[in-house]
Amino acid sequence: MRRKLPSLVLAVLVALATAGVATAANGGFTPVEPASPNAHHIQHAYYLVLGFTAAIFVLVETLLVVFVVKYRSRGRARAVEGAQVLGHTRLELIWTAIPVVILAIIAGFVFYELPNIDSAPAAADPIHITVEGHQYYWQFDYPNHARSIGTLHVPAGAVVDLKVVSPDVIHSWWIPALGGKLQAIPGRINHTWFKADTGSYDGQCAELCGVFHASMRATVRAESQQAYQHYLTSWRGTIGKQIWNGVCATCHGNLGQGGYGIAIANNSLLTQKSGLEGILRNGFTGPGGAMPPVGETWTQEEIDALAAYVKKHIYKSAPVGATSGG
Amino acid sequence: MAARSEAAYPVGWKNGRVASWLVTVDHKRIGILYIATSLVWFVAGGILALLMRTQLATPNEAFLTKNSYNEVMTMHGTTMIFLVVIPILAGFANFLVPLMIGARDMAFPRLNALSYWLFLLGGIILWLSWFAKGGAAHAGWWSYPTLSENFPFTSPGHGQDYWILSLHVLTLSSLLGAINFIVTIHNMRAPGMTWMRMPLFVWAIETYAILLLVALPALSAAITLLLLDRTVGTHFFIPSDGGSIVLYQHLFWFFGHPEVYIMVLPVFGMISEILPVFARKPIFGYKAVAFSTIGIAFFSMLVWAHHMFTTGLPVGLDSFFMISSMVIAVPTGIKIFNWIATTWRGNLIFDTPMLFALAFIALFTMGGLSGIFLAAFPVDWQVNDSYYIVAHFHYVLFGGSAFGFFGGLYYWWPKMFGRMLDERLGKWHFWLLFVGFNLTFLPQHMLGLLGMVRRIYTYHHGGIWEAYNLISSIGSGVMGVAILVFLINVWRTNVFRKGVRAGNDPWLADTLEWYTTSPPPPHNFDTVPYVTSARPLRDLRRRLAEQPQ
Repeated sequence: MRRKLPSLVLAVLVALATAGVATAANGGFTPVEPASPNAHHIQHAYYLVLGFTAAIFVLVETLLVVFVVKYRSRGRARAVEGAQVLGHTRLELIWTAIPVVILAIIAGFVFYELPNIDSAPAAADPIHITVEGHQYYWQFDYPNHARSIGTLHVPAGAVVDLKVVSPDVIHSWWIPALGGKLQAIPGRINHTWFKADTGSYDGQCAELCGVFHASMRATVRAESQQAYQHYLTSWRGTIGKQIWNGVCATCHGNLGQGGYGIAIANNSLLTQKSGLEGILRNGFTGPGGAMPPVGETWTQEEIDALAAYVKKHIYKSAPVGATSGG
Repeated sequence: MAARSEAAYPVGWKNGRVASWLVTVDHKRIGILYIATSLVWFVAGGILALLMRTQLATPNEAFLTKNSYNEVMTMHGTTMIFLVVIPILAGFANFLVPLMIGARDMAFPRLNALSYWLFLLGGIILWLSWFAKGGAAHAGWWSYPTLSENFPFTSPGHGQDYWILSLHVLTLSSLLGAINFIVTIHNMRAPGMTWMRMPLFVWAIETYAILLLVALPALSAAITLLLLDRTVGTHFFIPSDGGSIVLYQHLFWFFGHPEVYIMVLPVFGMISEILPVFARKPIFGYKAVAFSTIGIAFFSMLVWAHHMFTTGLPVGLDSFFMISSMVIAVPTGIKIFNWIATTWRGNLIFDTPMLFALAFIALFTMGGLSGIFLAAFPVDWQVNDSYYIVAHFHYVLFGGSAFGFFGGLYYWWPKMFGRMLDERLGKWHFWLLFVGFNLTFLPQHMLGLLGMVRRIYTYHHGGIWEAYNLISSIGSGVMGVAILVFLINVWRTNVFRKGVRAGNDPWLADTLEWYTTSPPPPHNFDTVPYVTSARPLRDLRRRLAEQPQ
């Protein structure tokens, strides 16, 4: 029994380690698979820190366990004293100096990686896109005044410079595969960048921004140059639907049947563009509830597109008997 | 002994069973009041945590509404920080500092009573905010504007105002307490107790008090400006009118980071008291441990903006705060290594206080090391505001502070009440809490790296997200059971009086509080021995053993 125990422990450890490695790619032991150079370089820094901290962790916990086992009382009386060691100056110096060296290495490596993380490649001519965080949606403005809601279209492999702003409360832009977070702070303009491989990448607002914080998701779609150009010219055709899905439906439900906000499917305001515009731009506060000025920064085109969309697809389309809630 | 001293007071209404607690200015009773009140809020804040973990157990859960989740989350954080960890440590400090330095009481006993009653008042104000118009505060425990401003879609109603008022009252309480501790420690030490013979817990309280004095005014300033914004129409933090949100973040975290050490330094002190007694050894490197406390306190005032790496600070500032945050890891490491060295060649006795102290070292190491990732600011950009952070600070504040104060409760309980907490229940409490804690918070590191942001009331991902969240929620339930075991233990010991009676010094400890009776008489000591080392009680035991009777 005694002899079997160590081999059993070893087997369990090996199994755990194997399982750990097997799941490391997607089990949450490292940040998600990077798809942009800045995220790649953050990953490098992560691995370096992980290497040192894991070694220190194993050292500290092993020492603790070994001492606990080795110096346990084994029935000795409480009055029996251990070795009356008061300290050891050289040891103190060693365990002060070694962490200093390790931390200096980590800091040095961070500075070495920093240019690849913090700034976009110098030669590239970036595409400038404005990311505007709103309660509770992400709005993207493209160079030719095109706009999208919730989904950011970019050409794969192109350097994209993001100007991150907010008109209402602090939000935080984060697409894990495309690099770190950056707060969208009212009154400030922040910049970040990425260069995405082809694919679709999800993220969500990382700073508490109110009641629908959890619904404030974003997707970056890195697609071919043609698909990107196609979006820039065809955005007007879908913006009404995008706004409905990305903004209105969060509170009022997919079909306007109501949810956190009131049921609006049968509300005749949906057919009156000027009334609708007033509420979208200025918000509304009344005894029955309140609505934020979700459309305060929208263009006339967008308001028109939304008005046309809701008139056609939402008005009177919810199941009959849908109740109006508060 | 105790009975005789009490009888010496004139009999009156003040000696009633309840009244005597209401009018007390005795540091021991005030300490016990602090600890008991904090434990009540610990249970309340824990229930809030269980509500959140229930909501997050499965995707798209509808156990709590979005609104109430934000309230529960804000109240959990604020309660645990301001009504549990800080005041329970103030309670320990109240009870222990005069006893450990051989004093009769705190320097200002009435001020001390005022501190406690302000703490109770502040707590009541915070918890009354559930009934405020618009519900309790729901902008998170740091209450960043503009979400905490008085606009229709941020924080209308009075919950946020109650939160501000409560923090003002609690700040006042802590400031008065801090002044009291400093004056007491500086002026009332026993004859012979030089600074280098002072118990390490007292060193920790000295630095804790200094940090409170330095850090709290920044919080008071920030929330005063916020209150003005909300009520009289100023716009310190409203950018559209020229205010600055980043200013609030600086003010808040100038308080908020020293705050972390305010919550953990006294616990470091407790560990430095408990470990040697149960290892039957002196602390390894007394001076290194004492001076590292001061080092940590000093550097804790220079690291605040590492909470703001994602606000788009200039790289130069990010770099400064990365380096200062890494520097603070060095004195923390010194402590860890000295504690481990204290167990080396000891006669380790695994009573419950020791189990908690050893677990503290194991868990705090984890929390400290995950902090290195956060100091390296590009890595922080990835993990900040995700569940990784939630895991990190719970390893520091629960694995660290809470495991430490539970160890302290088991250790000093006999001194407070004259009876020992039950060892068997204590061990159940410990193991359930240890397993439950790791089940709850270990998977949260992975969740954060997978992209789960903090403070969301729900998520829609299944698969591994759901698995980790479910494990975490189950773990929180195990922790709940552990706390129940603790409460049963307390009930059994103090109410049913089943606890074994403790003598003056049940653990054969080192410091002066064990020189007097358990519980001590109102005046603490009839005589105080001349202190010749940091371990006066061991000296005394040895002298007694040497003297032929």
